[in-house]
Amino acid sequence: MNAAWLPLTAIAASLLAAVIIFTLPEDARRLRTSINLLAAVIKITLVALMVGRVVQGDEAIFSFQIVGNIDFVLRADALGVMFAGLSSVLWLCTTVYAIGYLEGTANRKRFFGFFSLCVASTLGIALAGNLFTFLIFYEMLTLSTYPLVVHSGTDKALKAGRVYLRYTLTAGVVLLFGVVLLYSFTGEHSFASERGLGDYLGDHRALLTFIFALLVGGFAVKAAMVPLHGWLPRAMVAPAPVSALLHAVAVVKAGAFGILRIIYDLYGIELSVELGVTTALAVAACITIIYGSLRAIAQQELKPRLAFSTISQVSYIVLGVSLFGPFGTIGALAHLLHQGLMKVTLFFCAGIYAEELGIHCIDEMNGAGKRMPLTSLAFTIGALGMIGLPPVAGFITKWYLGIGAIQAEMYWVVAVLVASSTLNAIYFLPIVHRLWFRVGPAHGHGTWPNEQRLGRLETHGWLLWPAVFTAFISLAAGLLAGLPFSPLDWATRVAVGEYLQ
Amino acid sequence: MITLLLIFALCWPLCIALASAWQAYRTSASQGRYLSWWWVSAAWPSLLLPYAGEAQWVIEAWMLGGQWSLDALSRPWLAFTTLLWSLAAVHARGYLAKEQVKAQVGDSSAERRLLRLTLLWPLTLLGNVLLIIAQDIASFYLGFALMTFAAYALVVHTGTDEAKLGAKAYLIMAVLGEGLILGGLLWAAGDAQSVLLEGVREGIASAEHGALMAALLWLGLGVKAGVIGLHVWLPLAHPAAPAPASAVLSGAMIKAGLLGWLYVLPLGETSLSPELTRLGDIMLIAGLAAAFGAALYGVWQRHPKAVLAYSSISQMGMLTAMVAMGLAAPEVWPLLLPGVVLFAAHHALAKGALFMGTSISEHLPRWPSALVWILLALPALSLTGAFGAGMISKWTVKSALYEMHHESLITLLTWAAIGTSGLVGVSLWRQWQQRHAGGSHSAQWGAWLAALTAALVTPLWLPLPEGSVAIPPLKEWVSLVWPLPAGVMAVWIGGWLTRHLRVGTPPAGDLWWFYAWFAQNVLVAIRGIGQWCSGIKAASVNVTLAIEKRIMGRLTQLTTMESWMRHHTSGLMMALAVILALLLMWEGA
Repeated sequence: MNAAWLPLTAIAASLLAAVIIFTLPEDARRLRTSINLLAAVIKITLVALMVGRVVQGDEAIFSFQIVGNIDFVLRADALGVMFAGLSSVLWLCTTVYAIGYLEGTANRKRFFGFFSLCVASTLGIALAGNLFTFLIFYEMLTLSTYPLVVHSGTDKALKAGRVYLRYTLTAGVVLLFGVVLLYSFTGEHSFASERGLGDYLGDHRALLTFIFALLVGGFAVKAAMVPLHGWLPRAMVAPAPVSALLHAVAVVKAGAFGILRIIYDLYGIELSVELGVTTALAVAACITIIYGSLRAIAQQELKPRLAFSTISQVSYIVLGVSLFGPFGTIGALAHLLHQGLMKVTLFFCAGIYAEELGIHCIDEMNGAGKRMPLTSLAFTIGALGMIGLPPVAGFITKWYLGIGAIQAEMYWVVAVLVASSTLNAIYFLPIVHRLWFRVGPAHGHGTWPNEQRLGRLETHGWLLWPAVFTAFISLAAGLLAGLPFSPLDWATRVAVGEYLQ
Repeated sequence: MITLLLIFALCWPLCIALASAWQAYRTSASQGRYLSWWWVSAAWPSLLLPYAGEAQWVIEAWMLGGQWSLDALSRPWLAFTTLLWSLAAVHARGYLAKEQVKAQVGDSSAERRLLRLTLLWPLTLLGNVLLIIAQDIASFYLGFALMTFAAYALVVHTGTDEAKLGAKAYLIMAVLGEGLILGGLLWAAGDAQSVLLEGVREGIASAEHGALMAALLWLGLGVKAGVIGLHVWLPLAHPAAPAPASAVLSGAMIKAGLLGWLYVLPLGETSLSPELTRLGDIMLIAGLAAAFGAALYGVWQRHPKAVLAYSSISQMGMLTAMVAMGLAAPEVWPLLLPGVVLFAAHHALAKGALFMGTSISEHLPRWPSALVWILLALPALSLTGAFGAGMISKWTVKSALYEMHHESLITLLTWAAIGTSGLVGVSLWRQWQQRHAGGSHSAQWGAWLAALTAALVTPLWLPLPEGSVAIPPLKEWVSLVWPLPAGVMAVWIGGWLTRHLRVGTPPAGDLWWFYAWFAQNVLVAIRGIGQWCSGIKAASVNVTLAIEKRIMGRLTQLTTMESWMRHHTSGLMMALAVILALLLMWEGA
C-alpha cells in the first residue's frame, strides 16, 4: 500500500496550525499554545510512522500532476524522513522554547503563524520528491522566515530582513534558472530516478557542469557558504528561537539538504565525481570551514560568534558529501542531525542568557555557571560537541569525515578538520572557561547587565527544559552512537541503502 | 562479576561528581563537606579491578563500537594509576582541610575552589581509568580528552597568577596535543579501516606514510608525556597546582601519554619500514636530550616543585628513549616492555610521594627532624636507582638492554641517572631551605607514608606477568649506585663554584617564554594583515559606491532627457512623421 496521506497530512498539520493561529485573536494564548503543541506532536507521530514504513522498505508517496509532465510529488524516502525527523523533533523543542521566550510580548499571533508556516515548508523540503516540489517549498521557506527575522520591528531588524531577502531571493532566481534549464534539456526532475543524469554526460558535459554550478550556487546562499554567507550574521537580530530554527533546522539546513539532494538524488554521485565538481565543492567547503572559524574568533558577542560557527559547521555536511565515499557520506548525513541538535542547544542557551541575565557579550558571561548551572551545562555540552570532543555527537561526525577524507586520499582535508577543531576550541573554550572558572556577579563581583527572575528554577521552565533536552540528546547521540535508530545508525542506513549499493 | 565491578568502577566517580554538584546546589556552605570519605573513595573500586583478573568487554552500542580489556599491560597500569589516585585523594583531604574550614565559615572563594576541585577530580580520574582499559579508539580518545580537560581544574585550583599561567600553558598545549592526536588517529585508522587501537598499530606498521602517522601520535601524546619542546607546561603547572594534584599530574597523567605510545605505536613489530626506524632514532635522541637537558636546567630552579617537574621531564625522557628502542631496535622490545611498565609504575609512586613530600616539608609533622628528612629522602633515593624498587626497575631495564648488547644506551641512561640524583638532591635542599614547622594533617602524612612505602616495594604489589622482574646481582650494585654520589657531588661542586657569580634563577617553563614571544609577534602580524585587508575592503566599497554614484548620475540624466522629450512630444512626433514620410517617398522613388 502506498500511504499517500502520510506525507501530505504531516505537512498539512503544520499548515493547518498556521491557518488556525492566524484566525485566532491575539490574546487567545492558551488555545494557541495547545494548537502549536498538538500540531508538533501530531507531526512527530506521523514522521515516526513514515520512519516505520521506510524501515519496512515501503516508502509513502503522494503525487499529482500540475501541468503537462510537471508533477507535485511528496516522497518519504530514508533521507527525507531523516531531515523530517530532525525538523519535527526540534520544532517541538523550539515551539516550547518560543512559547516561554515570547511570554508577554506583542505580535505573538503573527510570530507563531509564520513559525508554523516555516516548519511546514521545511517538512515540504524534506519530503519533496522532485526538484519542482522542492523549489516551491524552498521559496515558501524564504518568504515565511522573513517575518520571523524582522519580528522585533527595529530598524536593525528591518535592515537585516532586507539583506536576507536580497540574498535569498536572488539565489531563488538563480536556482529557478538552473531548474528551468535542466528541465528544458532533460525533462528530468525526480529525485527517485535510478539513472541520474549520466546519459547526458557524453554530449553535454559543460552544460551539466554549468547547471550544477547554478543549482549548488543557489543552495549555497542558504547554506551560508563563503562568500555567500553575508546574510546569516545579520539575521542574528531575530529572536533566539528563530535563530535556533534558522541555524539548526530550517534555512541553513535547507540549503545543505538541497545540495545533498542535487548530488545524491539528481546527478548521482558518480556523475558528480566524473564532472569533477566534488573537488571544487570540497575546496569551497574547506574555505568556508576555516573562514567561518576565524571570523567567529573575532566576534565579541555571543550570537554572532555562534552564527559564524554555524557557517563553519554546516559546511562539514557539504564537505562530507564531496568526499565521495561511504564514510564521507555517513559523516555528512549524521552531521545534518548532530549539528542541528548541538546548535539548537547553543542558541537556546544564548537566548536564556539574554533573557534571564541580559547577557549579549561574551565578557559578560563570567560566573554564569553558578547562577545558571543547568543552562551552562547544556551550553558546555553543545560547545564541546562543536569542538568535536567525545563523547558528544560532534566527535562522531568529525571522525567519519576524517576517515572519509583519508579513504578519498584527500589528506589536506584532515588537516582542515584538525585546524577547525583547534579553532573551534579557541573560540568555545574561553566561553566555557568564563562560565565556570571566572568569578562574576554570581560570586558578588559586579552585576548582571539586566537580570530578571523568570521562574522558580534558574530560568523559566519552558526555556530551560528544551535546552537541557537537546543537550542530553546530543550527548546520547554520541555516547550511544552504536544503538539502532541513533543518528549515526540512520545515516548509515540511508547511505548504505540508497547510494552505496 | 568482574563486569559488575567494572560498571561500578566507572559509575562510582561519576556518582561522586554528581553528589558534589548536588551538595553545592542544596546544602549551605557551612555544612558543606567537600572532602568527605565518600569523595576520597572515588578511585577505590577501580583499584580493585586489576586484581580481579583478566577480562575483555565488547559493547556494540558504545560510540563507534566499544572494546575494553584488562590484559597484561592495562592491569599493572591501572593498578599503579588508581593506587596513586586513591592516595592523592587521601592526601588532598588533609592538604585542603584548612580550605574546607574556610569555606565553612563563609569564604565564598574557598568554597568555589573546593567545589570545582571536588567536582572535576573524580571526572579526571574517570578519564584516566577509561583510557587505560580502552582498546578502541573512541573510548581512548574520550578518556584522554576527559582527563585532559577536567584536569584544568586541578591545575588552576589556587587561582593565583602563577596558577593561571600554568593552567593556560597546560590548556594551550593540551589543545595542540589533542589536535595532533586526532590527526594521527584519523589517518592511521582511516588507512587501516578499523576502530580499534590495534588497527591503528597495524595501520602504522603497514601504511606507506606510517612514520608520519606515528610522528603525529608521538608528538600529540608527547604533550602529555613531556617530550622535549612540548614539555613547557610541566614546570609552569606543577609548582602552581596543589601538592596532591601535582602528584597525580606527574605520576598518573603524564604516564597516560606513555601508555598511549605503547597502545598505538607498532613497537617491537618485525620488519618495520626504514622511516619508522628513523623515527625511533629521532625519539631516542629527543628522549636523551630531555633526560639531560631537563636535569641541567632544572637544578637551577628555586621552587622544589619546579625542580621535581624537571625531574619528571628527565625521567619521561628516559622512558621515551626506552620506547624508542621498540622502533629503533624492535628485537629488544619484548624483553624491555616489563621493565618500562615497572619503571613507569615506580616513577609514578615515587614522584607522587615526592610531590606529597613537598607539602610535608611545608607543614613538618612534630616528629624527630632526622626521621622526617630521612623519610622525605627515601623516594628520592629510590628514584635515582640506588635503592629499593628504583634499583630493581633500573636493573630490569638494563638487563634487557645488556642481553641485546645496547651498552651505549645503558651508559647514557646511567649518566642520566646522575642528573636524576642532582635534581632530587636540589629538590630536597630547596625543601630544607623553605621548610615550615606547624604540623600536618594525619591524612596528609598518612597518604604520603603509604605512597612512599608503595614506591619502595613496587614489584611486590604490581600485577606484572610472572618472571618479568629482574633482581640485580650483588656485583652490579656499584654500577647502579654510583650515579647518586656523583650527582650529589656534581650539584654541590656546581653550587659552590657559582655561589659567587650572581647568576639569577632561569625562569621555569624555559621554552614557553620563547613560544609566547613568538606567538605574540605572529598575532601582531596577523592583526596588521587584518587591518590591511579591512583597508582594502573599505577602499573597494568606496570605489563601488563611486561607480554606483556615477551610474546613478547618468540615469538621472536619462530622466531629465525623458522630461525634455515629454515636453517636446508634439515636435518630436512631427519630426518622426516627417522622417517617415521622407522614407516612404525615398522608397517609392
